[in-house]
Amino acid sequence: MSPLIQYLILFGMLVFTTGLVGMIYLIKKSLEKTLEEPGKKVPAESGNLSPKPAWGRYHVHYYSFALLFLAFDMEMAYMYPWAVVYKELGIMALLDMGVFLMILFLGLIYTWNQGGLKRQ
Amino acid sequence: MSQTIYWITTIFLFVAGVYLLAVMERWITYGRFDLLAPFKRSLALLGQESVTPRKMDKVFYETAPLLFIVATLMAAMVLPFGKGSPAIDLATGALFINAALAYIMVSILMAGWAPNGVYAMIGGWRFLGQLIAYSMPIVMAITATVMRAESMALTEIVNSQQSLWNIIYQPVGFLLFYLSAMAMAFLPPFDLPTAPGTLAGGVWAEFTAERLLVFRIGRLALIMTLSLATNVLFLGGWYGPWLPDYLWTFLKTLAVAASFFGVSRFAVRIRYDSLLEWSWKFATPAALFNILWVGILLLL
Repeated sequence: MSPLIQYLILFGMLVFTTGLVGMIYLIKKSLEKTLEEPGKKVPAESGNLSPKPAWGRYHVHYYSFALLFLAFDMEMAYMYPWAVVYKELGIMALLDMGVFLMILFLGLIYTWNQGGLKRQ
Repeated sequence: MSQTIYWITTIFLFVAGVYLLAVMERWITYGRFDLLAPFKRSLALLGQESVTPRKMDKVFYETAPLLFIVATLMAAMVLPFGKGSPAIDLATGALFINAALAYIMVSILMAGWAPNGVYAMIGGWRFLGQLIAYSMPIVMAITATVMRAESMALTEIVNSQQSLWNIIYQPVGFLLFYLSAMAMAFLPPFDLPTAPGTLAGGVWAEFTAERLLVFRIGRLALIMTLSLATNVLFLGGWYGPWLPDYLWTFLKTLAVAASFFGVSRFAVRIRYDSLLEWSWKFATPAALFNILWVGILLLL
């Protein structure tokens, strides 16, 4: 089957799923109406009504991991094509990627050494 | 003609799998076996009043459940069930499932942000941290299977395991993929975004009725998809004696899903900072070691 048709089927699947979900929503809508009651629409917060909005600043304690993740994620983009031709190229491919990975791995060890792999 | 039969069989088996998973989850987790339970639960959710939070981000709130199930089913589409004539055999299959399943995190983060509630928000941010933990091991484990098959097409990856399954060829990779898959489906040791005991439902706390139903079906489909992916990448896909290929895929997938539920029943929820720490200190080096291991085995 040609790639174009495959992607068309995938797109069809996307439309189909959206339609299915839309259908569930419509069935639900036809069943009943939500009653308006005080305090009902307030997000849960341990029994209290939460007056303040939650969209504030949130300290993501894992930002050092996130930075490390970026570096490794970039490396993965190179790794996929490399993995496909690996067996063909043999030992040279192993050495080429080995050097690249070693540099990244040193980065990981440096981060670990500097205490970056801890909750900040 | 055979294409049509393939389509019908695949869709039927997938839907049957999702239904059986719903029964199985209840059976393994709570010890109650009820074949009608999924229908009862669905009807109960459809009958529930649809309450939406008052000051919410409407676009995110409406998109999140839809995106969750769409991303899951897109990934499920490219995973082969049998050798006959796979309907979708993308040349970049292994990359595609990864790209599609990345949207699970986006959807959960959107669901956490949208209702403007603190518990949901914390659940969402936690799941972003969880992605940073599970994403590297899962991607590297997939890469190692691609190295052996010399192709990113999933049928080729299954074919490469004809003589020896990947679970024996690269056991470290299997273990990493297995645990990461559990983290991706936020099953109990890693159920940080929903965390029933501590976050009161977390990202799903503000989702009611039909939207929660879509989320729950999507979650079961996600577990089914990840079990299928585990089977295709590590357990030899459709290979097996006596039985027809579709049935083998189906049985192995259900077995993997059952083991997911079995493990999650006895596991204690992990803290997200411990998860991140262990992932980067042990899992990522282990994944790199796995790639090296497969590389050396391939050169021998």
